[in-house]
Formats: sequence, C-alpha cells, structure tokens
Amino acid sequence: MRGCISAALDAATLAGASYVDARIVDTRSESISIANGRIEGVESSASFGLGVRVIANGSWGFAASATVTEAEAVHVARQAVAIAKASALCPGSKPVTLAPLDPVEAQWAGLCEIDPFDVPLADKLELLSSAEEGLRSEPAVKLTKADLGFQRTRKVFGSSEGAFIEQQHVESGAGLTAWVIADGEVLSRSYPNSHGGNWIQAGWEAIERLDLTGNAPRVAAEAAALLTAEPCPTGTYDIIIGSSQLALQVHESIGHPTELDRVLGDEAAFAGTSFLGLGDIGALRYGSSHVTVTADATVPGSIGSFGYDDEGVPAQRDHLIMNGLFTGFLTSRESAPEIDRTSNGCMRADGWNRIPLIRMTTVSLEPGDWELDDLIADTDRGILFDTNSSWSIDDRRLNFQFACETGWLIENGALTKMLKNPNYTGITPQFWNSCDAVCSDRHWQVWGIPNCGKGEPMQVAHVAHGAAPARFRGVEVGVGR
Amino acid sequence: MRHHSETARRLASATLSAALEAGAEQAEVIATAGTTALTRFAGNRIHQNVAESGTEISVRAVLGNSIGVASTNRTDDVSLADCCVAAVRAASVAPADNSFPGLPGPASVEIADRAAKATRSFDAEDRAKAVRTIVEHSRRHDLVAAGGIKVTDQGIAVVNSLGVDVAQDITGLRATALSMDEHEGGGSGWSSFVCADAGEFDAEKVGERAAFLALRSRYPRELPSGAYRVVLAPEAVADLVEFLGWLSFGAKPVHEGRSPLSDKIGEPIVSPLVTITDDATAADAMGLTFDFEGQPRSQVSLIETGVARGFVTDSYWAARLGTANTGHALPAPNSYGPLPLNLQMAPGDSTLEELIAQTERGVFVTRFHYVNVEDPVPVTLTGMTRDGTFLIEEGKLSHPLKNLRFTQSVIEALGNVVALTRDREYIGSETNPVLVPGMLVDGFNFTGQTR
Repeated sequence: MRGCISAALDAATLAGASYVDARIVDTRSESISIANGRIEGVESSASFGLGVRVIANGSWGFAASATVTEAEAVHVARQAVAIAKASALCPGSKPVTLAPLDPVEAQWAGLCEIDPFDVPLADKLELLSSAEEGLRSEPAVKLTKADLGFQRTRKVFGSSEGAFIEQQHVESGAGLTAWVIADGEVLSRSYPNSHGGNWIQAGWEAIERLDLTGNAPRVAAEAAALLTAEPCPTGTYDIIIGSSQLALQVHESIGHPTELDRVLGDEAAFAGTSFLGLGDIGALRYGSSHVTVTADATVPGSIGSFGYDDEGVPAQRDHLIMNGLFTGFLTSRESAPEIDRTSNGCMRADGWNRIPLIRMTTVSLEPGDWELDDLIADTDRGILFDTNSSWSIDDRRLNFQFACETGWLIENGALTKMLKNPNYTGITPQFWNSCDAVCSDRHWQVWGIPNCGKGEPMQVAHVAHGAAPARFRGVEVGVGR
Repeated sequence: MRHHSETARRLASATLSAALEAGAEQAEVIATAGTTALTRFAGNRIHQNVAESGTEISVRAVLGNSIGVASTNRTDDVSLADCCVAAVRAASVAPADNSFPGLPGPASVEIADRAAKATRSFDAEDRAKAVRTIVEHSRRHDLVAAGGIKVTDQGIAVVNSLGVDVAQDITGLRATALSMDEHEGGGSGWSSFVCADAGEFDAEKVGERAAFLALRSRYPRELPSGAYRVVLAPEAVADLVEFLGWLSFGAKPVHEGRSPLSDKIGEPIVSPLVTITDDATAADAMGLTFDFEGQPRSQVSLIETGVARGFVTDSYWAARLGTANTGHALPAPNSYGPLPLNLQMAPGDSTLEELIAQTERGVFVTRFHYVNVEDPVPVTLTGMTRDGTFLIEEGKLSHPLKNLRFTQSVIEALGNVVALTRDREYIGSETNPVLVPGMLVDGFNFTGQTR
C-alpha cells in the first residue's frame, strides 16, 4: 500500500500540486436485523479504495478509485490535479493554505477484546433472536425490531509533507425497539437507545455487556405502558433531559454550530451555517456556568475516537465551552488559521471516495455534581424526557424541536404520570443558559451516533457524545399538540 | 463508447455464476457501475471538487427459505467469489423465513433511454464555468453564493438465477444555488434544477432566481405562531410528498397499520384536488424503469382525487398480501419494504402568482429545512422554512419573514388544499426526483420562529 500512496503523492506533485494527501481505506461490515420474528437481513459488505486530495493553483481537487494499484494511483492523482485546476477557474480571494503540522510516521489501533468478525454468525443470530423474542413476550406489542452491526476500518494515510500513518479500529452496535399501535398512534420504546441502539468502539464484548436479552421484556413492558400514558401537556415547564436525549441535544445545538466550516459558510447550501461568528470566541455566553463542553478524540471506547484525523493531525481534547463561555470551534488545517489557531484534529471522511470534512469527535457535556433522584426531588413542576424519537433544527442551529419516546410528569419532586410522545422546543443559547443542574459522573455515559449526515455527496460520520441528565428551566413543551 | 450498463451486466452475470458455484440454490445480483462528479461552491468560490468511479456488487443468496446478502466494490475474480461465499454462508446460518416466496422470475421490462450524451461529457471545466455563471449573479449584487453541481452517469444491472436479466443506463445533473446577503438584516434565496440531460441546464436561470429571492428577503420580520393560509412553492411541496411516500405508500407500513392508508383504501383521506401516482414509465420520468429485483416498475395510483387507492409492492409483499407485484423493490435487505421512487402529484390550473393573489393574509414558503417525523400515521412533520419566506397581504408578497417552524400533519394539510399550480417541477435527487406543483393550503400550523 505504501507504494500506491507514494505513487499518488509523486504523480500529483509532478502534475503541479503544491500539496497532496492520499488515503487507502479498507472497510468491512456486517449487519443483522430481525423484525417481528422474521430475519429481515443478514448482510456483509466490503469496500476498498484510494482517494487523492490535492491543492493545485491554490484550489482543491479530489479523485478516487476502487482500483488500488500504482498505475491507477498515478491516474487518480493526475485527475485530482486536473480537477483542482478546473476549480481555479472560480477561485477564492486567496489561495488555499494549511495550518502548519509536524508530519509523523505512526500506527494506532482502537480497543477491541473479542474481534466480532471471529464470532460465529450463528452465535450472533442466536443472541439477537433471543432478544427479539423477548420483545414479543408482551401481547400489546405489535411490531419489534432488533439490530446488530459491526464495522472494521483500516486506513493508510500519506502526505507530501512526509506523514505516513496506519490506523485500524472496530465498532460494534446493537439495539432493540418495541412498538405499540392504538387509535392511529404509533408509540415506541427502545434499548439502549433509539435509531438502532448504541455504538461503541469495541468488539463483541461490548454487545455481551448490553444484555439485550435481559432488557427485552422490560422494553416491551414500557412500550405497552405507553398505551395508557397521558399526552404531553402544552405549556412552559422545567424539564430534566435524560442522558441519551441530551447527547443528541448536544449534537445538534453545540456540535454542529461549532463546526468552523459551517461558520465560514462552506456547508451553507445544504446543512446550513451557524449562529456563531468568529468573534464569539471568549465573548459569547453560550450557556450557564453549569455548561462545560469538550471535544475529545481520545475517549476510550468512543466511536468518535482515533489516533489521527484524516489530515494526519493527532487526536486531541479541546474545550468548546468553559463554564458557559464559548471558547473554541471544531477545526481543520484549512479553517483553523481563520481563528489564529492550529487544527484541533476534526477532519474525517466517510470512506476512500470522500474528502474529509470537519466532524465532531466525542463532544460532551461535562458532568456536574447532582444525583438524579435529588434533581427530581428538587423539581416542583416538570417533565423528564427520555430517548429521542424525532429531531429538527434550523439552518443556523438556533430553533430546535425534539420529541422523545416517553416522558414523566414531575409533581412536587416526584415522578407521577407517564407521558407519551412528549416534545419540547427552544432557541439554542437561551436554552443552554437555562441549565441550572447537571448530574454527576455516576450518570454520565458516552453515546455513539453512527449516522451523522453532512456534506454533499452525503457523508455519514460516526461521532459520540457524553452526557448526564440535566435540568433546564422554563422550556416550551407539547408543541403542536 | 462503452456504456456503464454493459459493464454492470457483465459483472452481474459473472457474479451470478459464482454465486451458484458457491452453492446458492437461487441467487440475485445487483451491479452498479459508473461515475459521479460534484463541484461545490461557497463564499463565491469553488471549495470542493470531487470525482469518483466505481462499481458495487450485491449478492442475495437463497438456500431453501433462508437468505444471505453480501456486497463488495472489488471486482477481481477472487473478491467476487469471496462475496458470493459470504452470501451463501450467511444463508446457510440464517433461520428460514417461511413467508419468503422465492426470487421472482423474469418479466417484460421496457428499458427507457435515460442517459444523455451531454451529461456524460459535462466535465470539471463545464461544472466550473456553470458555477462561475451562478456565482456572478450573486457577486454583482454583493451577495454570497453557495451550492453544487452534481453529475451522475451510471449503469445498473439486475440478474437472477430464474432468468431475470435487465440493465439500464441513467444520467442526471442536479444544480443547487443559495444566495446570501451577509450584511446586517440580510436574507437568503434558493434555486435548484434537476434533469437527465445536461443540455437542458440553464445556469443563468438558477443563479438569477437565487439572487432575486435573496435581495427580496432583506430585513425579515417576525410573525406570531398560528394557523395560516400558505402558498408552498414546488420545493416545499416536494418535502411533504417525499415524506408521504416514505411513510405511507409502501405495502409494509400499510399492512402494519403505520400508514394513513391502513384500512382506508377506497376511502377519501384528503382533498379531491389531490392526486398522487408513482410512475417510472412516464415519458419525462427519470431513473430506472425496473426495480432492484428486475421487475417492471408499474404505474400505481396512490391517491386519486382525494381517495386512497393503493400502495406499492415488491415480490415479497405481493405474495404476502396476495396482490400484484408493482415492481418497487429496494435492494435487499432493507427495513423499509417497497417504496415509490417516482412520485408525481397531479397539477391544478393556477399559476403561482394566482395562488398568492388568492391569499388575503398568509405565508409564502420557498422551501423547508431539516424536516422530521413526529407522528407517522397522520404524517405529522416538524421543520423550518428557509431561503425565502414571505408574508402575503392582500394578494401580494409584502415583507420577508424570519424562518418559521411548522408542526403539521401532511394528511390534514392535503385535506386543506385550495388550489394547485398547472406548472410542475422536478425536485430532488438527480436519479429519482419527485414531480410536484405549487400548492395553496389553508390552516397550516406554524409553531415557532427562529431569531
């Protein structure tokens, strides 16, 4: 592979590139899905190819091929340079430049105790079938789904600056969902999270720890209980948001708006921009003093972790918000100089045939010091939201609306009534400034989100968020109900 | 010139033989070969410019009633054989699905010519020149443009061991333009265009419309939440129709009671002004005329003058429900079941200007953003407006509005349709866009507003 990387770097340089990087990515994945007692899919897939990114005439070009030979690497490199030269027909006001980086030769591997690709398929099917059957133990449950998936990625990166980095990691994920249907309403409960479950950078051991089979009857019973749950009231309430839902709240209203490429307008036409400006660093009160948020690509077991990003920048832990004050963006080598910094290593690509974009790593709300029981007891009139079912936010990441699978009414410091399909809405900085309590590290958990969409062609990134339940005062709930 | 469909068909046939050699009792192979190129621009300059060529092979192996699927993008003999072995191995372990009817046999498919020479030859320089044209419309008004031009040239083949053997070439071009006024009080405007033949692409028109809407959107004001009459431009209608297609028109959600059509076939569910069909065979339709089981995509009436008429099927759901196979299979395996990919909403007899003129007080929406589902049966969606939202007063666009959040049942909205435009537009992806008119709707619920 080193020969192909070198061939691409040399050919692009000879063709006129002032900078080149080349990535070979080899991905293997496996997924199993069972729904309503029926095998919906047993699938394995493999993807392998080479992508070459260049700067020529001060503009970017990229080309990729699934044929990984030295001859093809030369062809792809020349194509990338030709594309960059075409880009220069509509150039920016200044040529593309990159923040300085010390190139390294390195290797990195993620945690994995039991390689899931060595575990017999029959064992995986048996575990998932048993869990899915457990969901059907409750007669009121009408639809069920159980998912299991694994991915192994091997990457080789080289640059014309002298970097050569080899990395590999394995991810494992699983989830259960039970649905009940009544009077035109479809209601669900999931474990350990909705939208396919939770994903972890680990092997088969992570799936065993989830205890899908043991949790299935409880999930089914909770789904059945939604049939008699009350609708979410409409009005302004203090709300406590559970860990997994808060992870998505962080994702949408802190992670995305702090991506510096969005702030600079690079994603304006598709995903949108950001309400943040370059001058907000050190000036904007993003949240209350309880809100401290980090971007950390070194969290063990997180699918947002790596050794080096896809520009060869080492993994880092950086603060985005410190005690409520906005302190920094997620950056790349091209964008970081706009804020007089070097890259904090957030560039990742969805495979060999995509260019790297600024992506979240593990963007987390740092834990506070509350116990969840104490926080509920401290709330006179509120609603506890748990497990996401729907999400939406505007193109500047200000106005959001989330719905959850379930909620609990809090009256005089106690959970009193289950609520079905609750939702809440808000404006990002106003919302984070209303946070007056965050639970402790005992309640803090990292949630893997393997489906973060951004860019054109759409790239799906694997990112993660740590969060513990937190309370927000005076939030509008029951919207449009 | 060798077309990609020939490559796809050759690879599919070779892989089918390998799958049978690997022990599959029945096998199906989907092969895709082609090129995709995309030039993105932002800040009035090209900032991303990419191209890729590649092939995807997917094998569905059947042993008894057990199924395994494997896919690869590597096309050497060893990799294809490995892929087939993986599919057969998965099938050998997977529990039997006693409701699986077996793979479908061959059926007559009319292969439409949907690949244009002008699109195939639309290269990086053509894309860059078109971007320059779009950007110039914004730059001359001190606006900032962003967007992209994507060109696809693909061949897709589906073969199976029962004799299915179909292949088709398709091309497509999609251009998008966002124009932004970055000064205080500035707004934004949007335009998009999709076609199979790049010869139809007019970059001037795309750039001009986006810039016009941006200029018209300066100094947006607030609007209290509430139910308003709305004029939805085709781009906004497309979002509603696409979600309806995904949630409501497939056999699976209909059978499972998750669709507004569940137990309602033959009953009126929306306004008599609404007729929605899926028709991959229409003369100007884009995309494949067969599905991913190689079956002909039939024209299906989904809602006819407000009455729920039908839903789309594939071989599995047709057998399970005892209905005809309409030819709407997605690649196996998938959780969605069959889906309509060529939705068309019938036109009305108005112009967009006439819809605005019929509105005493209401809201004009250019397009929606980040729409998601809150409740599937009434198809209750929430999302934001963006890039050209205006208050309508006394039959005219008055002033721009800050972007609004809606929380609205699509079924209820389609029940409140007052009029539709006679002109329709293709909106969406360059291979499977929807064809929709503009729409005048009463009582559309706006539930919030951004700052």
